[in-house]
Amino acid sequence: MTRRYQEHEEIAVSSNPGAVLQKTGVEPEHRPIRAAGPVFTGVSAALTVIGVIAFAVGLTNGAAARVWQAYLVNLLFFLCVAQGGVVVSAAAYLSQGRWAGATQYRLAEAGGMFLPVGFVLFFGLFFGRTVIFPWVQHPVAQKAAWLNTPFLFARDGIALLVMTLLSLGLMRASRSAAACAWAANPANIVMPPPAVRRLAPAVAIAFAAIYTLIAFDLIMSLAPAWHSTLFGAFFFGASFLSGIAAMALGAVLLRSVLGEHNIFRTPRVLHDLGKFLFAFSVFWVYLLFAQYIVIWYGDMPVETFFIVQRVYYPPWEAFSYAVAILMWVIPFIVLMGVRPKRTPAILGTVAFAVLVGAWIELYVLVVPSLSQWVVPFGWIELFISLGFLGIFLLSSAHGINLVSTTATTEQLMEGEGHA
Amino acid sequence: MSETVELAASFVAEETCAHAIEALREAHVGQSRIFSPMPCHKIQHAIGLPPSPVRAYVLGAGISGVITGLLITIGTSWEWNLVAGGKPIVSWPPFIIICFELMILFGGTTALLTFMLMARVPAFEPTAGYRSRFSGDRFGVVVVCDEQQADMVETILKQVGAEEIMRDAA
Repeated sequence: MTRRYQEHEEIAVSSNPGAVLQKTGVEPEHRPIRAAGPVFTGVSAALTVIGVIAFAVGLTNGAAARVWQAYLVNLLFFLCVAQGGVVVSAAAYLSQGRWAGATQYRLAEAGGMFLPVGFVLFFGLFFGRTVIFPWVQHPVAQKAAWLNTPFLFARDGIALLVMTLLSLGLMRASRSAAACAWAANPANIVMPPPAVRRLAPAVAIAFAAIYTLIAFDLIMSLAPAWHSTLFGAFFFGASFLSGIAAMALGAVLLRSVLGEHNIFRTPRVLHDLGKFLFAFSVFWVYLLFAQYIVIWYGDMPVETFFIVQRVYYPPWEAFSYAVAILMWVIPFIVLMGVRPKRTPAILGTVAFAVLVGAWIELYVLVVPSLSQWVVPFGWIELFISLGFLGIFLLSSAHGINLVSTTATTEQLMEGEGHA
Repeated sequence: MSETVELAASFVAEETCAHAIEALREAHVGQSRIFSPMPCHKIQHAIGLPPSPVRAYVLGAGISGVITGLLITIGTSWEWNLVAGGKPIVSWPPFIIICFELMILFGGTTALLTFMLMARVPAFEPTAGYRSRFSGDRFGVVVVCDEQQADMVETILKQVGAEEIMRDAA
Protein backbone atom coordinates (compact mmCIF):
# COMPACT_ATOMS: atom_id res chain seq x y z
CA MET A 1 0.00 0.00 0.00
CA THR A 2 2.45 2.56 1.19
CA ARG A 3 4.93 1.49 -1.44
CA ARG A 4 2.60 2.40 -4.26
CA TYR A 5 3.59 6.04 -4.50
CA GLN A 6 7.23 5.10 -4.42
CA GLU A 7 7.00 2.63 -7.25
CA HIS A 8 6.47 5.03 -10.10
CA GLU A 9 9.31 7.28 -9.09
CA GLU A 10 12.71 6.18 -10.09
CA ILE A 11 14.89 6.00 -7.05
CA ALA A 12 17.83 7.47 -8.79
CA VAL A 13 20.85 6.17 -7.03
CA SER A 14 22.69 7.86 -9.75
CA SER A 15 26.04 6.87 -11.09
CA ASN A 16 26.55 10.58 -11.64
CA PRO A 17 25.57 12.15 -8.33
CA GLY A 18 26.36 15.70 -9.38
CA ALA A 19 23.88 15.76 -12.22
CA VAL A 20 20.56 16.26 -10.54
CA LEU A 21 18.99 18.77 -12.81
CA GLN A 22 19.73 18.23 -16.41
CA LYS A 23 18.98 20.44 -19.32
CA THR A 24 17.31 18.01 -21.66
CA GLY A 25 18.00 20.25 -24.59
CA VAL A 26 15.20 21.65 -26.69
CA GLU A 27 14.20 18.76 -28.84
CA PRO A 28 11.80 19.34 -31.68
CA GLU A 29 9.08 17.00 -30.40
CA HIS A 30 8.83 18.72 -27.06
CA ARG A 31 9.56 22.34 -27.61
CA PRO A 32 8.79 24.62 -24.67
CA ILE A 33 5.05 25.21 -24.71
CA ARG A 34 3.75 28.71 -24.09
CA ALA A 35 0.98 28.13 -21.58
CA ALA A 36 -0.19 31.74 -21.78
CA GLY A 37 -0.90 31.94 -25.49
CA PRO A 38 -3.44 34.00 -27.47
CA VAL A 39 -6.44 32.17 -25.96
CA PHE A 40 -5.18 32.91 -22.45
CA THR A 41 -4.61 36.57 -23.29
CA GLY A 42 -7.99 36.80 -25.03
CA VAL A 43 -9.91 35.35 -22.09
CA SER A 44 -8.01 37.53 -19.59
CA ALA A 45 -8.66 40.63 -21.68
CA ALA A 46 -12.37 39.74 -21.91
CA LEU A 47 -12.51 39.33 -18.10
CA THR A 48 -10.81 42.70 -17.70
CA VAL A 49 -13.34 44.35 -20.00
CA ILE A 50 -16.22 42.78 -18.04
CA GLY A 51 -14.71 44.15 -14.84
CA VAL A 52 -14.26 47.65 -16.24
CA ILE A 53 -17.86 47.68 -17.52
CA ALA A 54 -19.20 46.47 -14.16
CA PHE A 55 -17.11 49.14 -12.43
CA ALA A 56 -18.47 51.91 -14.66
CA VAL A 57 -22.08 50.69 -14.57
CA GLY A 58 -21.95 50.25 -10.79
CA LEU A 59 -20.61 53.77 -10.26
CA THR A 60 -23.17 55.41 -12.52
CA ASN A 61 -26.09 53.51 -10.98
CA GLY A 62 -25.66 54.63 -7.41
CA ALA A 63 -23.86 51.51 -6.15
CA ALA A 64 -20.62 53.39 -5.42
CA ALA A 65 -20.19 51.87 -1.95
CA ARG A 66 -20.40 48.31 -3.26
CA VAL A 67 -18.14 49.07 -6.21
CA TRP A 68 -15.40 50.51 -4.01
CA GLN A 69 -15.68 47.74 -1.42
CA ALA A 70 -15.26 45.14 -4.15
CA TYR A 71 -12.40 47.18 -5.60
CA LEU A 72 -10.58 47.30 -2.26
CA VAL A 73 -11.12 43.59 -1.49
CA ASN A 74 -9.85 42.51 -4.90
CA LEU A 75 -6.96 44.95 -4.95
CA LEU A 76 -5.80 43.57 -1.58
CA PHE A 77 -6.35 39.96 -2.63
CA PHE A 78 -4.38 40.11 -5.85
CA LEU A 79 -1.63 42.25 -4.28
CA CYS A 80 -1.40 39.58 -1.56
CA VAL A 81 -1.16 36.73 -4.05
CA ALA A 82 1.42 38.48 -6.25
CA GLN A 83 3.50 39.81 -3.37
CA GLY A 84 3.22 36.58 -1.39
CA GLY A 85 4.66 34.72 -4.37
CA VAL A 86 7.65 37.06 -4.68
CA VAL A 87 8.28 36.71 -0.95
CA VAL A 88 8.18 32.91 -1.29
CA SER A 89 10.94 33.33 -3.87
CA ALA A 90 12.91 35.54 -1.46
CA ALA A 91 12.39 33.01 1.34
CA ALA A 92 13.59 30.19 -0.90
CA TYR A 93 16.75 32.15 -1.72
CA LEU A 94 17.31 32.89 1.97
CA SER A 95 17.10 29.19 2.77
CA GLN A 96 18.91 28.28 -0.47
CA GLY A 97 16.03 26.02 -1.46
CA ARG A 98 16.41 24.25 -4.77
CA TRP A 99 13.77 21.54 -4.52
CA ALA A 100 12.49 22.34 -7.99
CA GLY A 101 15.49 24.06 -9.50
CA ALA A 102 14.95 27.35 -11.32
CA THR A 103 11.30 26.41 -11.94
CA GLN A 104 10.32 27.04 -8.33
CA TYR A 105 11.58 30.63 -8.60
CA ARG A 106 9.84 31.24 -11.94
CA LEU A 107 6.64 29.81 -10.46
CA ALA A 108 6.84 31.93 -7.31
CA GLU A 109 7.51 35.10 -9.30
CA ALA A 110 4.93 34.40 -12.03
CA GLY A 111 2.43 36.92 -10.68
CA GLY A 112 5.04 39.54 -9.79
CA MET A 113 4.25 41.83 -12.70
CA PHE A 114 0.88 42.55 -11.09
CA LEU A 115 2.72 44.56 -8.41
CA PRO A 116 3.34 47.70 -10.52
CA VAL A 117 -0.24 47.41 -11.82
CA GLY A 118 -1.54 47.09 -8.27
CA PHE A 119 0.57 50.10 -7.25
CA VAL A 120 -1.24 52.20 -9.88
CA LEU A 121 -4.66 50.74 -8.99
CA PHE A 122 -4.04 51.63 -5.33
CA PHE A 123 -4.37 55.33 -6.22
CA GLY A 124 -7.81 54.54 -7.66
CA LEU A 125 -8.93 54.28 -4.01
CA PHE A 126 -8.45 58.05 -3.81
CA PHE A 127 -11.66 58.48 -5.82
CA GLY A 128 -13.56 56.14 -3.55
CA ARG A 129 -12.15 57.44 -0.26
CA THR A 130 -15.40 59.04 0.90
CA VAL A 131 -17.33 55.76 0.74
CA ILE A 132 -14.47 53.48 1.84
CA PHE A 133 -12.83 55.25 4.75
CA PRO A 134 -15.31 56.22 7.49
CA TRP A 135 -12.82 58.71 8.95
CA VAL A 136 -12.88 60.88 5.80
CA GLN A 137 -16.38 62.15 6.54
CA HIS A 138 -16.29 61.61 10.30
CA PRO A 139 -12.73 62.34 11.37
CA VAL A 140 -11.57 60.71 14.60
CA ALA A 141 -10.13 63.54 16.65
CA GLN A 142 -7.38 61.60 18.45
CA LYS A 143 -6.24 59.82 15.32
CA ALA A 144 -6.51 62.70 12.86
CA ALA A 145 -2.74 63.09 12.67
CA TRP A 146 -2.47 59.58 11.22
CA LEU A 147 -5.85 59.03 9.55
CA ASN A 148 -6.06 61.83 7.01
CA THR A 149 -6.27 61.53 3.25
CA PRO A 150 -3.00 63.16 2.09
CA PHE A 151 -0.83 61.36 4.65
CA LEU A 152 -2.47 57.97 4.03
CA PHE A 153 -2.00 58.07 0.27
CA ALA A 154 1.51 59.51 0.59
CA ARG A 155 2.81 56.93 3.07
CA ASP A 156 1.07 53.92 1.52
CA GLY A 157 2.00 55.09 -1.97
CA ILE A 158 5.67 55.38 -1.03
CA ALA A 159 5.56 52.07 0.84
CA LEU A 160 3.99 50.24 -2.10
CA LEU A 161 6.45 51.89 -4.47
CA VAL A 162 9.40 50.69 -2.38
CA MET A 163 7.89 47.20 -2.17
CA THR A 164 7.25 47.09 -5.91
CA LEU A 165 10.74 48.29 -6.83
CA LEU A 166 12.40 45.81 -4.46
CA SER A 167 10.25 42.98 -5.78
CA LEU A 168 10.93 43.82 -9.41
CA GLY A 169 14.62 44.10 -8.57
CA LEU A 170 14.61 40.66 -6.99
CA MET A 171 12.73 39.20 -9.98
CA ARG A 172 15.26 40.74 -12.36
CA ALA A 173 18.21 39.42 -10.36
CA SER A 174 16.52 36.05 -10.01
CA ARG A 175 16.00 35.73 -13.77
CA SER A 176 19.66 36.45 -14.50
CA ALA A 177 21.76 33.67 -16.03
CA ALA A 178 23.89 33.40 -12.86
CA ALA A 179 20.88 32.89 -10.59
CA CYS A 180 19.32 30.33 -12.96
CA ALA A 181 22.57 28.39 -13.13
CA TRP A 182 22.82 28.49 -9.33
CA ALA A 183 19.24 27.25 -8.91
CA ALA A 184 19.63 24.46 -11.45
CA ASN A 185 22.48 22.76 -9.63
CA PRO A 186 21.66 21.75 -6.05
CA ALA A 187 24.90 19.80 -5.75
CA ASN A 188 26.77 23.09 -5.88
CA ILE A 189 27.13 24.53 -2.37
CA VAL A 190 28.09 28.10 -3.32
CA MET A 191 25.81 30.97 -2.29
CA PRO A 192 23.32 32.54 -4.72
CA PRO A 193 24.62 35.52 -6.77
CA PRO A 194 25.32 38.73 -4.79
CA ALA A 195 22.42 40.75 -6.24
CA VAL A 196 19.97 38.06 -5.10
CA ARG A 197 21.69 37.81 -1.73
CA ARG A 198 21.19 41.52 -1.09
CA LEU A 199 17.65 41.82 -2.41
CA ALA A 200 16.07 38.69 -0.91
CA PRO A 201 16.40 39.77 2.76
CA ALA A 202 15.40 43.32 1.82
CA VAL A 203 12.21 42.04 0.19
CA ALA A 204 11.41 39.82 3.17
CA ILE A 205 11.92 42.57 5.76
CA ALA A 206 10.16 45.27 3.71
CA PHE A 207 7.26 42.87 3.17
CA ALA A 208 6.70 42.45 6.91
CA ALA A 209 6.87 46.20 7.57
CA ILE A 210 4.95 47.44 4.54
CA TYR A 211 2.19 44.85 4.58
CA THR A 212 1.63 45.60 8.26
CA LEU A 213 1.18 49.24 7.29
CA ILE A 214 -1.18 48.28 4.46
CA ALA A 215 -3.22 46.09 6.82
CA PHE A 216 -3.50 48.88 9.38
CA ASP A 217 -4.33 51.59 6.85
CA LEU A 218 -6.56 49.79 4.37
CA ILE A 219 -8.37 47.30 6.62
CA MET A 220 -8.10 48.28 10.27
CA SER A 221 -8.83 51.95 9.62
CA LEU A 222 -12.23 50.98 8.19
CA ALA A 223 -13.21 50.38 11.83
CA PRO A 224 -11.23 53.31 13.28
CA ALA A 225 -12.08 52.43 16.89
CA TRP A 226 -10.54 48.94 16.66
CA HIS A 227 -6.93 47.96 17.03
CA SER A 228 -4.92 44.74 17.22
CA THR A 229 -1.14 44.74 17.17
CA LEU A 230 -0.93 41.29 15.64
CA PHE A 231 -3.24 42.16 12.79
CA GLY A 232 -0.40 43.15 10.44
CA ALA A 233 1.39 39.83 10.91
CA PHE A 234 -1.89 37.99 10.44
CA PHE A 235 -2.43 39.86 7.16
CA PHE A 236 1.01 39.24 5.68
CA GLY A 237 0.98 35.64 6.93
CA ALA A 238 -2.21 35.13 4.94
CA SER A 239 -0.55 36.85 1.98
CA PHE A 240 2.37 34.40 2.11
CA LEU A 241 -0.11 31.52 2.32
CA SER A 242 -2.05 32.84 -0.72
CA GLY A 243 1.22 33.03 -2.64
CA ILE A 244 1.94 29.37 -1.85
CA ALA A 245 -1.61 28.31 -2.72
CA ALA A 246 -1.37 30.13 -6.05
CA MET A 247 1.94 28.34 -6.73
CA ALA A 248 0.42 24.93 -5.95
CA LEU A 249 -2.65 25.61 -8.10
CA GLY A 250 -0.43 26.93 -10.90
CA ALA A 251 1.80 23.87 -10.72
CA VAL A 252 -1.18 21.51 -10.96
CA LEU A 253 -2.71 23.41 -13.89
CA LEU A 254 0.58 23.73 -15.79
CA ARG A 255 1.28 20.06 -15.16
CA SER A 256 -1.60 19.07 -17.44
CA VAL A 257 -1.12 21.91 -19.95
CA LEU A 258 2.60 21.48 -20.59
CA GLY A 259 2.52 17.97 -22.04
CA GLU A 260 4.44 14.88 -21.08
CA HIS A 261 7.80 16.41 -20.24
CA ASN A 262 7.58 18.98 -17.52
CA ILE A 263 8.97 19.24 -14.04
CA PHE A 264 5.50 19.26 -12.45
CA ARG A 265 5.09 15.63 -13.56
CA THR A 266 7.66 14.78 -10.88
CA PRO A 267 5.57 13.75 -7.85
CA ARG A 268 8.16 15.13 -5.42
CA VAL A 269 7.66 18.70 -6.67
CA LEU A 270 3.95 18.57 -5.89
CA HIS A 271 4.80 16.86 -2.59
CA ASP A 272 7.05 19.77 -1.60
CA LEU A 273 4.41 22.34 -2.57
CA GLY A 274 1.84 20.37 -0.58
CA LYS A 275 4.06 20.37 2.52
CA PHE A 276 4.55 24.10 2.13
CA LEU A 277 0.80 24.69 1.85
CA PHE A 278 0.10 22.47 4.87
CA ALA A 279 2.71 24.17 7.04
CA PHE A 280 1.63 27.73 6.33
CA SER A 281 -2.04 26.88 6.65
CA VAL A 282 -1.25 25.78 10.20
CA PHE A 283 0.80 28.96 10.73
CA TRP A 284 -2.15 31.04 9.53
CA VAL A 285 -4.57 29.45 11.99
CA TYR A 286 -2.00 29.88 14.75
CA LEU A 287 -1.90 33.63 14.12
CA LEU A 288 -5.70 33.72 13.93
CA PHE A 289 -6.04 31.95 17.26
CA ALA A 290 -3.27 33.96 18.91
CA GLN A 291 -5.22 37.11 18.10
CA TYR A 292 -8.59 35.68 19.05
CA ILE A 293 -7.55 34.32 22.45
CA VAL A 294 -6.05 37.63 23.60
CA ILE A 295 -9.14 39.59 22.60
CA TRP A 296 -11.39 36.92 24.14
CA TYR A 297 -9.54 36.97 27.47
CA GLY A 298 -9.36 40.76 27.70
CA ASP A 299 -13.05 41.00 26.84
CA MET A 300 -12.91 44.74 26.28
CA PRO A 301 -15.75 46.09 24.12
CA VAL A 302 -13.37 48.28 22.14
CA GLU A 303 -11.56 45.14 20.96
CA THR A 304 -14.34 42.55 20.92
CA PHE A 305 -16.85 44.37 18.71
CA PHE A 306 -14.77 43.63 15.60
CA ILE A 307 -14.84 39.89 16.33
CA VAL A 308 -18.37 39.72 17.69
CA GLN A 309 -19.83 41.28 14.58
CA ARG A 310 -17.99 38.83 12.33
CA VAL A 311 -18.07 35.59 14.31
CA TYR A 312 -21.16 35.62 16.53
CA TYR A 313 -23.93 37.24 14.48
CA PRO A 314 -25.47 36.50 11.14
CA PRO A 315 -24.97 37.23 8.32
CA TRP A 316 -21.16 37.33 8.70
CA GLU A 317 -20.90 34.38 11.08
CA ALA A 318 -21.20 31.84 8.26
CA PHE A 319 -18.51 33.58 6.21
CA SER A 320 -16.04 33.54 9.12
CA TYR A 321 -16.57 29.83 9.63
CA ALA A 322 -16.21 29.26 5.90
CA VAL A 323 -12.82 31.02 5.98
CA ALA A 324 -11.55 28.83 8.83
CA ILE A 325 -12.77 25.68 7.08
CA LEU A 326 -11.35 26.58 3.67
CA MET A 327 -8.01 27.90 4.87
CA TRP A 328 -7.27 25.53 7.72
CA VAL A 329 -9.65 22.57 8.34
CA ILE A 330 -9.58 21.31 4.74
CA PRO A 331 -5.82 21.71 4.10
CA PHE A 332 -4.99 20.34 7.55
CA ILE A 333 -7.05 17.16 7.23
CA VAL A 334 -6.66 16.51 3.52
CA LEU A 335 -2.96 17.27 3.15
CA MET A 336 -1.83 15.36 6.24
CA GLY A 337 -0.90 12.23 4.29
CA VAL A 338 1.76 11.80 1.64
CA ARG A 339 -0.44 10.56 -1.17
CA PRO A 340 -2.95 13.45 -1.24
CA LYS A 341 0.00 15.86 -1.55
CA ARG A 342 1.26 13.92 -4.54
CA THR A 343 -2.14 13.61 -6.24
CA PRO A 344 -2.51 16.60 -8.56
CA ALA A 345 -6.31 16.74 -8.44
CA ILE A 346 -6.38 16.75 -4.63
CA LEU A 347 -3.55 19.24 -4.19
CA GLY A 348 -5.06 21.53 -6.83
CA THR A 349 -8.50 21.42 -5.24
CA VAL A 350 -7.12 22.18 -1.78
CA ALA A 351 -4.99 25.05 -3.14
CA PHE A 352 -8.06 26.46 -4.88
CA ALA A 353 -10.05 26.14 -1.62
CA VAL A 354 -7.33 28.07 0.22
CA LEU A 355 -7.38 30.83 -2.40
CA VAL A 356 -11.19 31.09 -2.20
CA GLY A 357 -10.84 31.15 1.59
CA ALA A 358 -8.23 33.92 1.39
CA TRP A 359 -10.56 35.98 -0.80
CA ILE A 360 -13.51 35.51 1.58
CA GLU A 361 -11.21 36.32 4.49
CA LEU A 362 -10.40 39.75 3.04
CA TYR A 363 -14.07 40.24 2.22
CA VAL A 364 -14.98 39.48 5.85
CA LEU A 365 -12.25 41.79 7.15
CA VAL A 366 -13.23 44.70 4.92
CA VAL A 367 -16.95 44.69 4.22
CA PRO A 368 -18.62 44.19 7.66
CA SER A 369 -16.96 47.41 8.85
CA LEU A 370 -18.98 49.24 6.20
CA SER A 371 -22.10 47.08 5.97
CA GLN A 372 -22.87 45.40 9.26
CA TRP A 373 -26.17 43.63 8.61
CA VAL A 374 -26.23 43.11 4.86
CA VAL A 375 -23.94 40.97 2.72
CA PRO A 376 -23.51 42.95 -0.47
CA PHE A 377 -22.76 40.32 -3.03
CA GLY A 378 -24.21 40.35 -6.51
CA TRP A 379 -23.15 40.83 -10.08
CA ILE A 380 -21.19 44.02 -9.26
CA GLU A 381 -18.87 42.18 -6.84
CA LEU A 382 -18.67 39.11 -9.07
CA PHE A 383 -17.82 40.99 -12.25
CA ILE A 384 -15.36 43.37 -10.58
CA SER A 385 -13.61 40.33 -9.09
CA LEU A 386 -13.46 38.72 -12.53
CA GLY A 387 -12.09 41.99 -13.89
CA PHE A 388 -9.29 41.98 -11.32
CA LEU A 389 -8.63 38.33 -12.12
CA GLY A 390 -8.34 39.33 -15.78
CA ILE A 391 -5.86 42.12 -14.98
CA PHE A 392 -3.87 39.75 -12.78
CA LEU A 393 -3.72 37.07 -15.49
CA LEU A 394 -2.81 39.59 -18.20
CA SER A 395 0.06 40.94 -16.13
CA SER A 396 1.17 37.38 -15.29
CA ALA A 397 1.18 36.11 -18.89
CA HIS A 398 4.89 36.69 -19.37
CA GLY A 399 5.68 35.15 -15.99
CA ILE A 400 3.58 32.08 -16.81
CA ASN A 401 5.39 31.62 -20.11
CA LEU A 402 8.72 31.79 -18.29
CA VAL A 403 7.50 29.04 -15.93
CA SER A 404 6.43 26.97 -18.93
CA THR A 405 9.80 27.28 -20.62
CA THR A 406 11.79 26.44 -17.52
CA ALA A 407 9.47 23.61 -16.48
CA THR A 408 9.69 21.90 -19.86
CA THR A 409 13.44 22.27 -20.39
CA GLU A 410 14.58 21.45 -16.88
CA GLN A 411 14.30 17.89 -15.66
CA LEU A 412 14.44 16.75 -12.10
CA MET A 413 15.42 13.28 -11.13
CA GLU A 414 13.49 11.67 -8.32
CA GLY A 415 15.06 10.97 -4.98
CA GLU A 416 17.82 13.51 -5.37
CA GLY A 417 18.42 17.11 -4.52
CA HIS A 418 16.54 16.89 -1.27
CA ALA A 419 18.76 19.49 0.30
CA MET B 1 24.62 -29.94 5.79
CA SER B 2 26.06 -26.75 4.53
CA GLU B 3 27.76 -24.14 6.64
CA THR B 4 26.49 -20.59 6.84
CA VAL B 5 29.00 -17.83 6.32
CA GLU B 6 29.00 -14.16 7.06
CA LEU B 7 30.24 -11.72 4.43
CA ALA B 8 30.96 -8.19 5.61
CA ALA B 9 31.39 -5.65 2.83
CA SER B 10 32.34 -2.04 3.40
CA PHE B 11 31.43 0.84 1.10
CA VAL B 12 32.82 4.34 0.80
CA ALA B 13 29.73 6.00 -0.69
CA GLU B 14 26.06 5.73 0.20
CA GLU B 15 25.10 5.36 -3.49
CA THR B 16 27.18 2.22 -3.95
CA CYS B 17 25.89 0.84 -0.68
CA ALA B 18 22.31 1.45 -1.84
CA HIS B 19 23.16 -0.23 -5.15
CA ALA B 20 24.53 -3.25 -3.31
CA ILE B 21 21.34 -3.56 -1.27
CA GLU B 22 19.23 -3.43 -4.41
CA ALA B 23 21.42 -5.98 -6.19
CA LEU B 24 21.19 -8.36 -3.23
CA ARG B 25 17.42 -7.97 -3.06
CA GLU B 26 17.16 -8.76 -6.77
CA ALA B 27 19.34 -11.86 -6.36
CA HIS B 28 17.24 -13.05 -3.37
CA VAL B 29 20.20 -14.27 -1.37
CA GLY B 30 20.70 -14.61 2.34
CA GLN B 31 19.88 -12.29 5.15
CA SER B 32 21.57 -8.95 4.98
CA ARG B 33 22.07 -6.34 7.64
CA ILE B 34 22.94 -2.75 6.81
CA PHE B 35 25.14 -0.44 8.88
CA SER B 36 25.27 3.26 8.18
CA PRO B 37 27.21 5.92 10.09
CA MET B 38 24.41 8.42 9.38
CA PRO B 39 20.70 8.44 8.53
CA CYS B 40 20.37 8.03 4.78
CA HIS B 41 17.26 8.26 2.61
CA LYS B 42 18.77 6.41 -0.33
CA ILE B 43 19.63 3.37 1.76
CA GLN B 44 16.21 3.48 3.40
CA HIS B 45 14.55 3.49 -0.04
CA ALA B 46 16.81 0.66 -1.20
CA ILE B 47 15.96 -1.52 1.81
CA GLY B 48 12.30 -0.97 0.98
CA LEU B 49 10.88 -1.50 4.44
CA PRO B 50 7.34 -0.25 5.02
CA PRO B 51 7.09 3.06 6.90
CA SER B 52 7.72 2.77 10.62
CA PRO B 53 4.68 2.15 12.85
CA VAL B 54 5.97 4.88 15.19
CA ARG B 55 3.92 7.47 13.31
CA ALA B 56 0.68 5.59 14.00
CA TYR B 57 1.52 5.42 17.72
CA VAL B 58 2.27 9.14 17.74
CA LEU B 59 -1.04 9.94 16.05
CA GLY B 60 -2.89 7.83 18.60
CA ALA B 61 -1.03 9.40 21.51
CA GLY B 62 -1.64 12.90 20.13
CA ILE B 63 -5.36 12.28 19.87
CA SER B 64 -5.49 10.84 23.38
CA GLY B 65 -3.57 13.93 24.56
CA VAL B 66 -6.31 16.16 23.13
CA ILE B 67 -9.01 14.05 24.78
CA THR B 68 -7.16 14.11 28.12
CA GLY B 69 -6.88 17.89 27.83
CA LEU B 70 -10.61 18.20 27.26
CA LEU B 71 -11.41 15.86 30.17
CA ILE B 72 -9.15 17.74 32.58
CA THR B 73 -10.31 21.24 31.65
CA ILE B 74 -14.02 20.53 31.28
CA GLY B 75 -14.02 18.12 34.23
CA THR B 76 -12.41 20.55 36.66
CA SER B 77 -14.67 23.37 35.46
CA TRP B 78 -17.74 21.29 36.18
CA GLU B 79 -16.34 20.17 39.50
CA TRP B 80 -15.68 23.73 40.67
CA ASN B 81 -18.14 26.14 39.06
CA LEU B 82 -16.17 29.35 39.02
CA VAL B 83 -17.63 32.16 36.94
CA ALA B 84 -14.80 34.37 35.70
CA GLY B 85 -15.44 37.63 33.89
CA GLY B 86 -19.03 36.69 33.13
CA LYS B 87 -17.89 33.95 30.79
CA PRO B 88 -19.59 30.53 30.65
CA ILE B 89 -18.34 27.84 33.05
CA VAL B 90 -17.01 25.77 30.16
CA SER B 91 -15.26 28.41 28.04
CA TRP B 92 -13.44 26.51 25.36
CA PRO B 93 -10.93 29.04 23.88
CA PRO B 94 -8.27 28.67 26.62
CA PHE B 95 -8.93 24.90 26.76
CA ILE B 96 -7.58 24.62 23.22
CA ILE B 97 -4.17 25.62 24.56
CA ILE B 98 -4.23 22.87 27.21
CA CYS B 99 -5.35 20.32 24.60
CA PHE B 100 -2.58 21.44 22.26
CA GLU B 101 0.09 21.22 24.95
CA LEU B 102 -1.02 17.75 26.05
CA MET B 103 -1.15 16.61 22.43
CA ILE B 104 2.50 17.66 22.02
CA LEU B 105 3.51 16.13 25.37
CA PHE B 106 1.82 12.78 24.73
CA GLY B 107 2.87 12.64 21.09
CA GLY B 108 6.48 13.65 21.78
CA THR B 109 7.09 11.22 24.62
CA THR B 110 5.37 8.43 22.69
CA ALA B 111 7.54 9.16 19.67
CA LEU B 112 10.67 8.85 21.79
CA LEU B 113 9.59 5.71 23.65
CA THR B 114 8.19 3.81 20.66
CA PHE B 115 11.23 4.77 18.60
CA MET B 116 13.48 3.28 21.28
CA LEU B 117 11.30 0.20 21.44
CA MET B 118 11.19 -0.34 17.69
CA ALA B 119 14.88 0.42 17.18
CA ARG B 120 15.77 -1.78 20.18
CA VAL B 121 17.87 0.90 21.80
CA PRO B 122 19.67 1.17 24.08
CA ALA B 123 21.57 -1.91 22.87
CA PHE B 124 24.38 -2.99 25.16
CA GLU B 125 25.78 -5.70 22.89
CA PRO B 126 26.84 -4.72 19.37
CA THR B 127 24.66 -6.20 16.62
CA ALA B 128 26.13 -9.29 14.95
CA GLY B 129 28.39 -8.33 12.08
CA TYR B 130 29.11 -4.83 13.36
CA ARG B 131 32.54 -3.31 12.72
CA SER B 132 33.62 -0.09 14.41
CA ARG B 133 34.29 1.52 11.01
CA PHE B 134 30.54 1.39 10.31
CA SER B 135 30.12 4.12 12.92
CA GLY B 136 32.94 6.10 11.38
CA ASP B 137 33.51 6.61 7.69
CA ARG B 138 32.18 3.45 6.01
CA PHE B 139 28.82 1.96 5.10
CA GLY B 140 28.50 -1.74 5.78
CA VAL B 141 26.48 -4.56 4.26
CA VAL B 142 26.72 -7.82 6.17
CA VAL B 143 25.22 -10.88 4.46
CA VAL B 144 24.59 -14.19 6.18
CA CYS B 145 24.10 -16.99 3.64
CA ASP B 146 24.85 -20.62 2.72
CA GLU B 147 28.39 -21.45 1.82
CA GLN B 148 27.36 -22.37 -1.75
CA GLN B 149 25.90 -18.92 -2.29
CA ALA B 150 28.84 -17.08 -0.74
CA ASP B 151 30.83 -16.81 -3.95
CA MET B 152 27.86 -15.43 -5.84
CA VAL B 153 27.19 -12.86 -3.11
CA GLU B 154 30.83 -11.89 -3.10
CA THR B 155 30.74 -11.36 -6.87
CA ILE B 156 27.63 -9.20 -6.61
CA LEU B 157 29.18 -7.10 -3.86
CA LYS B 158 32.39 -6.71 -5.81
CA GLN B 159 30.53 -5.77 -8.98
CA VAL B 160 28.66 -2.90 -7.36
CA GLY B 161 31.88 -1.57 -5.91
CA ALA B 162 32.49 -2.87 -2.40
CA GLU B 163 35.73 -1.54 -1.01
CA GLU B 164 36.62 -4.58 1.05
CA ILE B 165 34.91 -7.94 1.71
CA MET B 166 35.61 -10.10 4.74
CA ARG B 167 34.38 -13.67 5.04
CA ASP B 168 33.78 -15.33 8.42
CA ALA B 169 32.05 -18.47 9.56
CA ALA B 170 28.74 -17.41 11.00
